[in-house]
Amino acid sequence: MNAEEVEKGVTAIVAEVTELDQSEIWNKRDANFFKDLEIDSLLALEILALIEKKFKVQIPEEKLVDITSLSATINLTKSVLAENGKLSS
Amino acid sequence: MILFEEIRSLLPQKYPFLFIDKVVELEEGKKIVCVKNVSGNEPVFVGHFPDFAIMPGVLIIEAMAQASIILFKKSLPPQDNTDKVFLLASIGNARFTKPVFPGDQLYIEINVEKIVSKGAIVQATVKVGEAAVAKANLTFGIAEKSALI
Repeated sequence: MNAEEVEKGVTAIVAEVTELDQSEIWNKRDANFFKDLEIDSLLALEILALIEKKFKVQIPEEKLVDITSLSATINLTKSVLAENGKLSS
Repeated sequence: MILFEEIRSLLPQKYPFLFIDKVVELEEGKKIVCVKNVSGNEPVFVGHFPDFAIMPGVLIIEAMAQASIILFKKSLPPQDNTDKVFLLASIGNARFTKPVFPGDQLYIEINVEKIVSKGAIVQATVKVGEAAVAKANLTFGIAEKSALI
């Protein structure tokens, strides 16, 4: 798994949950989920569960607060994958 | 096995809105199997329908949600729930494949996809005998009542 695959995979997940086009959510990757994109904490939980399924990793509950934007979610996924030795450069 | 009196104390819902009779299997944080006996004497059949008693699909979803609440409460350390309420946040891929009639015994199986202290995502399957009658994915959370009004 490399950085680009993570970016594409997480963008696809967030696009699915928010019902936005992938290009649209990518353009808004720094927008705040809660303030700007009407995502609530349970949608964030759905995003977390889909990331766990797709990338076959476990993400602890305390990381849920890091799901605040697409960029932040991509960074979280990368760091969790790196910790598990699943991120190639 | 969890019997009805404990279920009644665990669930925030009360008569005539209890749709679980007993719990036959429980794996904390992972899985629960509950039984609901459907009786022609239940109030819902007065209106649904007056000449053809059939269990509303939305109440099968409600039974899935109540089974999930029991699993959730049994999986996490006890919390002070006085100002808390369980809210259904999403129902995905719901399918009703066979009608449910008075006399049927529902086996409601819930498998956890993700559980955290503020909510959960689960997959639910309901069977009568060997036949699946309904399935759905549910997401629910806990909110503070005072924050909702």
